[in-house]
Amino acid sequence: MAHITRRELLQGAAALGVAGAVVPRSAQAQTTQKRELVVAQGGDISKFDPHFSTSSNDIRVSFNLFDNLISRRPDGKLHPGLATEWKLAPSTTWTFKLRQGVKWHNGDPFSSADVKYSLERTWDPNVKTRVNTVLTTIDRIEAPDAATVIMHTKKPDPLLAARLAFYAGQIVPKKYLEAVGGDQFNAKPVGTGPVRFVSWTKDDRIVLEANPDYWGGRIDVDRVIIRAIPDTAPRIAALLKGEVDLITQLPPDHGERVAGNATTRVVGALYAGLYVLAVNSKRPPLDNPLVKQALALGVDRELIVKELWRGRGIVPSGPIAKGDNHFDSSLPPLAYNPAQARERLKKAGYKGEEVVIETTVGYTANDKPMSEAIVAMWRDIGVNAKVEVLEYSVRAQKNRDKTFKGLWWSDPTSTLGDPDGMMWRLLGPGGPQDYWRHARWDELGEAARFSVDEKFREGAYREMTKIFLEHLPWIPIIQPYEDYGVQKYVEWTPDPLQQLEIRRFNFKFRRA
Amino acid sequence: MRGLLPFLGSRLLRALVALWLVSTVVFVVMRLSGDPVPLLLPPDAPRSEIFRVRAELGLDRPLIVQYAVFLGNALRGDFGRSIHFREPAVRVVAGYLPATVELGLTAFALAALVALPVGVVSAVRRNSLVDQVSMTIALIGQAAPTFFIGILFILVVSLRLGWLPTSGRGDWRNLVLPALTLGAFAMASIARLTRSAMLEVLRADFIRTARAKGVAETLVIVKHALKNAAVPIVTITGLQFGTLLGGAVVTETVFAWPGIGRLAIQSIYNRDYPVVQCTVFVSAVLFIVINLCIDVFYGLLDPRVRTS
Repeated sequence: MAHITRRELLQGAAALGVAGAVVPRSAQAQTTQKRELVVAQGGDISKFDPHFSTSSNDIRVSFNLFDNLISRRPDGKLHPGLATEWKLAPSTTWTFKLRQGVKWHNGDPFSSADVKYSLERTWDPNVKTRVNTVLTTIDRIEAPDAATVIMHTKKPDPLLAARLAFYAGQIVPKKYLEAVGGDQFNAKPVGTGPVRFVSWTKDDRIVLEANPDYWGGRIDVDRVIIRAIPDTAPRIAALLKGEVDLITQLPPDHGERVAGNATTRVVGALYAGLYVLAVNSKRPPLDNPLVKQALALGVDRELIVKELWRGRGIVPSGPIAKGDNHFDSSLPPLAYNPAQARERLKKAGYKGEEVVIETTVGYTANDKPMSEAIVAMWRDIGVNAKVEVLEYSVRAQKNRDKTFKGLWWSDPTSTLGDPDGMMWRLLGPGGPQDYWRHARWDELGEAARFSVDEKFREGAYREMTKIFLEHLPWIPIIQPYEDYGVQKYVEWTPDPLQQLEIRRFNFKFRRA
Repeated sequence: MRGLLPFLGSRLLRALVALWLVSTVVFVVMRLSGDPVPLLLPPDAPRSEIFRVRAELGLDRPLIVQYAVFLGNALRGDFGRSIHFREPAVRVVAGYLPATVELGLTAFALAALVALPVGVVSAVRRNSLVDQVSMTIALIGQAAPTFFIGILFILVVSLRLGWLPTSGRGDWRNLVLPALTLGAFAMASIARLTRSAMLEVLRADFIRTARAKGVAETLVIVKHALKNAAVPIVTITGLQFGTLLGGAVVTETVFAWPGIGRLAIQSIYNRDYPVVQCTVFVSAVLFIVINLCIDVFYGLLDPRVRTS
């Protein structure tokens, strides 16, 4: 045996270690034989019952246990779910044909009685669901036979199909729920979705197994485990080490670590919504549209996207998110022009009144760093701007009482893929961000809400956008990507609404 | 055992007063810190809905009435229903407790088992290399924040070396890093205190006498010195248990450990009053019981404690 020094031995071992750890692992990592998908998200769920929560941690699970009549897929379009077809005729009567042969996880057959029961349950005052305002445009529901449901709306509702595709539209089992009651249903949920409930250890893991008879086809794994790992660094470490296959809520400044690792990659979906600075347009100097225009012109959004979001976002062009109905692709991104901003301030007669951004820390991604950057940009154009930090519950309180001092972060989600479900829901009369009124804008918003003529709605939202850009009840800043970290063998397309659906059409493991 | 019963009685009475005070302070502080309802509902929920849910949860009643109801129920072991989980708070906390007990006891055992011998050896071999290295490590252990130690362990031991899982609860391998992280501060404190207590005792006359009588050195250290140094060590060890409960909040979050520390933090964020109250109450009971045991223990160790 040749003589080997201790140092050579150590060097050899180190080289072997590197080779052993990295080379074959990265080659293998492109494919897998695993039959189990492990997902890590930033927090545990609170409930399985889909009518009792709207939080993103919860809907990531419930959208896999349950189905809707209609499903909004990652392409942003509405596709058949438990309903195979639907038509509107006349303007307030919707007829749905239901999928045949679908079974609940406990073997009971699915029928129109379940649909009627589920939707009526959402607004039933005795049940006290958390989604009781979503489907209130429905006047009554009929189930003439097991495969048909007819819904009558109080007024024409162009967005009923979209409403049914998101929370509140999830269908729960009438027979089982009536037999066991709400608490037991929440403890042992039964749905029609691609996975069935197995167990839940609070704040640790949820175990789900593939539903072999799923109408949309059995998913590519036998089990799905959803773990809660609240801290970002350990969540990423679990992905890099290969303990989990998919992580949610990957902050932009950690993307490079995941992308730079041999076995993992980043996938993202453009967020169905915007990050905006909402404005209290009642408070001087923000009651003056010229001042708001100056503030909007004074924000270098390109720089914010590049530096604070590592390029993971786009600059909005107005109040309608890209991907939504009636998004106007001919509009340019909001401009940065400090010279014009100064001019508008001068024209407005601005005299150095204080402009405050009330920010939370981490309520929305990058809220505090963006606030600091924007305040610096506004000081450059001569605005006496400052940042104040709020605790979450104080923000919730101010939001409820409408007592914000100036500007604050809001991340309106476009749950219906339509301006009605975003700007009109929030900024409309009586809405949670009603700090500004404009007669023509209100008239158009109201008309568009109840019109089933898409051409008319298109025109209305164009005109509303024009008025919006002059008065700026929000100062839109960014439409970010929602990023996820995945192992390279995971082929998966995320949804823009954070619901993390695992279906045949958007998920599989790459097999050797 | 003369005097042990009155001693126990007075300790028990003090424990009950402490529990009542803790529950009251938590009740008041939680209600000062904000309303849970806006956090429960979607951001665009109408005001009527907010008032309805407030009434449903009994939050629209005067504070004094809420307090009376709370105390009455708490006496019967009922802390109300969790606002977030919609099940009895006691059941929620009971579900999380085993994980914390497992982690806490392991961390505590690890801290005591490592720190006592290290402290003794450092005192006996004062200023030696062993003493200097172990006391430097102890100083770092005391100075470094828990989250820092935790993340460092994950990055180095789990990710770089690949020895142990990064997070979650499972078999013993999942327990090592969180227990070390949680125990680090207690370990350092106990080691440092053991060292100084031992140094003091080792200088005492009776030790010199024992040595002069020719008693074996090991016997001198263990039987004569350590036993006499034990009272302050036992006291600080008991108090460290409180630090452990506090540290559990951070450690459990970093390691995704499903215990009551993490439950407490989340419940505070959610303004889930019943769960926060129950968690704090249970933690206080744990702390008080452990310290009661320690009081009794050093009542046994040192008869002077009972009569003073």
